[in-house]
Amino acid sequence: MRDRRLARAAPAVAALVAGLLALGPALRPGYVLRYDMVFVPDPPLTLAAGGFPRAVPSDLLVALLAHLVPAAALQKIVLVGLFVLAGSGAAALVPGRRTLPKVAAAVFYAWNVYLAQRLLLGQWALLLGVAGLPWAVRAAARGGPPWRVAVALLPAAAGGFQAMLVSALAVLPVAATRPAPRPARLRGTLGALAVIALLSLPWAVPALRADAVTDPAGVAAFAPRADGPFGALGGLLGLGGIWNAQAEVPGQAAWWLAAGRLAVAAAAVAAFAGLPGLSGFRSTRPEPGAPVPGGGGTGFRNPDGPAGPPPGPPDLPSAPGTPDPPYFRGVPGPAAPPGTPVALPGRSGPAPGAWPDCRAGLLVAAAGGLAVALAGAYAPGLVGALIAGWPGFGPLRDGQLYIAPLAVVQAVGFGLLAGRVTRPRPGGGRAAVAVPAVVAVLVPVLLLPGFAWGAAGRLAAVRYPAEWRQAQRIVNGDPRPGALLSLPWGAHRAFGWNGGRVILDPATKAFARRVLWNDSLTVADRDGRVIRVGGEDREARRLGAVLAAGTGPLTPALRAAGVRYVLVAGPDRNTFSSRLPGATAVLAGGEVLLLRL
Amino acid sequence: MVRVLAALVVGVALAIGASVGVVNVVAPSPEPPNKPLYNYGNR
Repeated sequence: MRDRRLARAAPAVAALVAGLLALGPALRPGYVLRYDMVFVPDPPLTLAAGGFPRAVPSDLLVALLAHLVPAAALQKIVLVGLFVLAGSGAAALVPGRRTLPKVAAAVFYAWNVYLAQRLLLGQWALLLGVAGLPWAVRAAARGGPPWRVAVALLPAAAGGFQAMLVSALAVLPVAATRPAPRPARLRGTLGALAVIALLSLPWAVPALRADAVTDPAGVAAFAPRADGPFGALGGLLGLGGIWNAQAEVPGQAAWWLAAGRLAVAAAAVAAFAGLPGLSGFRSTRPEPGAPVPGGGGTGFRNPDGPAGPPPGPPDLPSAPGTPDPPYFRGVPGPAAPPGTPVALPGRSGPAPGAWPDCRAGLLVAAAGGLAVALAGAYAPGLVGALIAGWPGFGPLRDGQLYIAPLAVVQAVGFGLLAGRVTRPRPGGGRAAVAVPAVVAVLVPVLLLPGFAWGAAGRLAAVRYPAEWRQAQRIVNGDPRPGALLSLPWGAHRAFGWNGGRVILDPATKAFARRVLWNDSLTVADRDGRVIRVGGEDREARRLGAVLAAGTGPLTPALRAAGVRYVLVAGPDRNTFSSRLPGATAVLAGGEVLLLRL
Repeated sequence: MVRVLAALVVGVALAIGASVGVVNVVAPSPEPPNKPLYNYGNR
């Protein structure tokens, strides 16, 4: 019994170890602040106002949970939880009963370029959806009542719009192509669609009411880019290609590592797709709900049909010399087309229920996501025209994020490959399994070593200067209404106390009142030219024009705009003090100047 | 035996490649900036 539990827990434990190794210094006391990942102490319970609701409902949930757990601890729980959720989910998608392929898939999905780059861009809310993606795919492939999909999509729902979009990209094709009678498939797809729509309401409603604008210039700024020696396409196939050079994993561009990742990616996709001799898929087409012959008495159970065989014993590691399940045996003959129900392995007794076949749907989702990403890189005019036509296409401008289903495909395929190269053979001995097993599990780490230890220190915990806490207490303790203007007029900061790491202005999260900040983005291209992506908040745009107009006093205009506080962060506060006559300095420190109008 | 040797060769090659990559990564970095305004990133 204890061995069974250990075997079941092994993928989650492996993902946990990978997460601890990846996060490293980020787990020390304090806050991990990098790009979009901005947690603040005592976050206020406020509804998003102005611009597109990018951090909805994630920020609200953080503020709620911060009443139970300190925000810094909560951030660490989220970050570690991402790895565990991701790894255990990928393992759950690997068919068969052996533990090693599941552990390999778990490590791959918890340690890949996509996850690392998005973490380095601070997009923890997106990663909530990515981590839960395998579970959502599994739920969609199993069919049955919609609450299964709803539960599996809860992490994505907490994450917000990007997480839900990525999840929808995978869940809907999987539900639509799962091997089941057409009416059941249609029911499942509509159910999944309804669940996605329902769980998207928290951000969709404010988005529709926000009157936000989307600048098509963002297509050029956020298109996938070559982050290695194989161009943008090679980068995307290796699960990289993120737009921001600062989000690259240290050392990832080394040709030998990039080539290794690309080779593994190709083999994993082939294995997932069921190419003969790689994954050893052995497929049959049973009647819905009927047991599938072969595979040692295993069966395919259609969740919408009559009950299949009862669940068998849980996964156990194969003993040396034990015949391998036929699933990984590389059955000669042509591969079955994707979507075909798969015969499950069984060493003794009945099969453990059924493996939800998600191959066809996931391949469609992976191809679709890759197409979106490639459109940004190679057909930016098309994406730009779409956005110009309707701002709702704005989320397409960062197309690389949609390759998450490809990451799932590769993780499961990698697990299948690992199962194949480590299958026990008669007379092979323990070493014949153990040595390839250790190497297989370590392959993802060895091909991306720069992710270790907080990506060589790029992720690390720091403490906010006391002045920030003091400013937060003053502003949040003031019952009088009025907005807070955050200066300098730019979205991102690189504070010395944060090791020079670039972060979104923390003022956007710290105050329990409307914060007016410059939500336009500046991105430098390879030639040093700056691409300016216009902000989405119309009020901030108006205020930006006021600030840019000359060098005269700002106080009357700011008062007229309903501004009560002006927060000037950083060392060059004198730039603004002279333009705010009549303002009272309520806090003047080395890092923060807080003025009351 | 062949499989064990192949796994060892692959494992050692990967470990060497990873080590070289790590050595490149841990090279000294310049002094961090302290700028109130900063780009979202560079392409």
